[in-house]
Amino acid sequence: MRADDLNRFTWFERVVHLAVAVSFLWLLLSGLAFSYPSLFWMTALLGGGSAARALHPWVGAVGAVALALAFVLWAKEMRLGKADVEWLRSIPYYARRRTDKVPPAGKYNGGQKAFFWLQSALACLLLLTGVPLWLPGAFFPRLLALIRLLHYLAALVAALLVIPHVYLATIAHPGTARGMLSGTVSRRWAKLHHPLWSREADR
Amino acid sequence: MTPSGNVLAIRRLSATAPPPPRAGKSPEYAKLVDLSRCIGCKACEVACKEWNDLDSEIVPNFGSYQSHRDLSPHTWILVRFTEVETGGRLRWLIRKDACLHCGEPGCLYACPAPGAVVQYENGIVDFDRESCIGCRYCIAACPFGIPRFEPGTGKALKCNLCVDRVANGLEPACVKTCPTDAITWGPKGDVLELADRRVRALRDRGFATAAVYDPAGVGGSHMIYVVPDAEYLAHYALPADPRSRPLALRALRVAKGAGALLAGFGLLSAALHYLAVGPSSPEEAERGGEEG
Repeated sequence: MRADDLNRFTWFERVVHLAVAVSFLWLLLSGLAFSYPSLFWMTALLGGGSAARALHPWVGAVGAVALALAFVLWAKEMRLGKADVEWLRSIPYYARRRTDKVPPAGKYNGGQKAFFWLQSALACLLLLTGVPLWLPGAFFPRLLALIRLLHYLAALVAALLVIPHVYLATIAHPGTARGMLSGTVSRRWAKLHHPLWSREADR
Repeated sequence: MTPSGNVLAIRRLSATAPPPPRAGKSPEYAKLVDLSRCIGCKACEVACKEWNDLDSEIVPNFGSYQSHRDLSPHTWILVRFTEVETGGRLRWLIRKDACLHCGEPGCLYACPAPGAVVQYENGIVDFDRESCIGCRYCIAACPFGIPRFEPGTGKALKCNLCVDRVANGLEPACVKTCPTDAITWGPKGDVLELADRRVRALRDRGFATAAVYDPAGVGGSHMIYVVPDAEYLAHYALPADPRSRPLALRALRVAKGAGALLAGFGLLSAALHYLAVGPSSPEEAERGGEEG
């Protein structure tokens, strides 16, 4: 850690985030294979069709535990306030890098907080619908088809939300991914993206 | 009944685009099960076990003529015995239960594994063990509750209408063994005609509600029942109006198409944003040299 670096995430936060990320990617790939026959070949990367199907719910269970930890870790910091709503309203400026028109963010901006709550809610829905799909024998045809539809829709929204999440954290804002890998970010990065948090850290 | 043309031409496969149309079409076959002629001897159960080399499952007698309580991964035919008392009269209902080989198979529509459910042009619906991934959606999707999951192999199993015999011009084993002609086999048109004749004869004999069970909601079936007393349909454990394609499954298809478009749009937007706006730079921001 260099002198002008700031600690952003503890080792435990990074491990939890990594567990969520890896399980999400695994579930996304196997889910895509089960949903799109043209992508069924991807099961070969995951141990074959039967293995992919057998593992999907177990990886889901691991992901659920990791997400529960993530929720406990971050729920307090993610509380949405008035400033966050303002931030969300300024997304059109944020997208054009008009930082002067974007309210200064604390440790997390409104978008990150909204992402956290949305993904948490979707994870609950995926878990609730995933359990009956794990052992589908006892369900009526119509009910099971409805559960499959809900599971798919929840997974779709979660995957769509992950696109900007990964884009913003990597190529759009260099220096961001570092926070989740080594745990530190540069002071300049913090000043640009999370000015209130960097001021706090300076105190 | 010698096979002509491509006896195992495929009509559709699960999770696979339909095969291109071809000249000629193999005829559809069907098995007729006349419940008024069935004496409950269970010879069909035994013949099925023998031909398909299925393990015998020895269970204690549970106070019924029925051999087993339910179908299993190794019991593809079960003759079900049901006692019904109405108006002081006892009716003993006997039904040979097995896969109906639907024209629109719920198992095939529900299956996510390409080629794990095969429907032949002759009407037979078969499961391919190699392609099955053991998700059990077929079990939940079947309106007749037929497929069974074998935990040891992680595969779903059911009656295949002796597809290997049919491909060689033979009738299914259960048909061959039936001593009372309660089970017959032939081109579906002929079988339906015979079923109609049997129903008319039953009505003449006073079975006013005799009917053919070839449910339209699943696109007709390739095991067809003659039911002498259709008022007992529920007691026979036959659904009155089975369906194979729930609305939610059709909605799922639409949702998947829309989902693919949305995901493509999302990825494209990120790429275009990067090209148009580029990465953020803390150095420039510090110098105040940032522009819109």
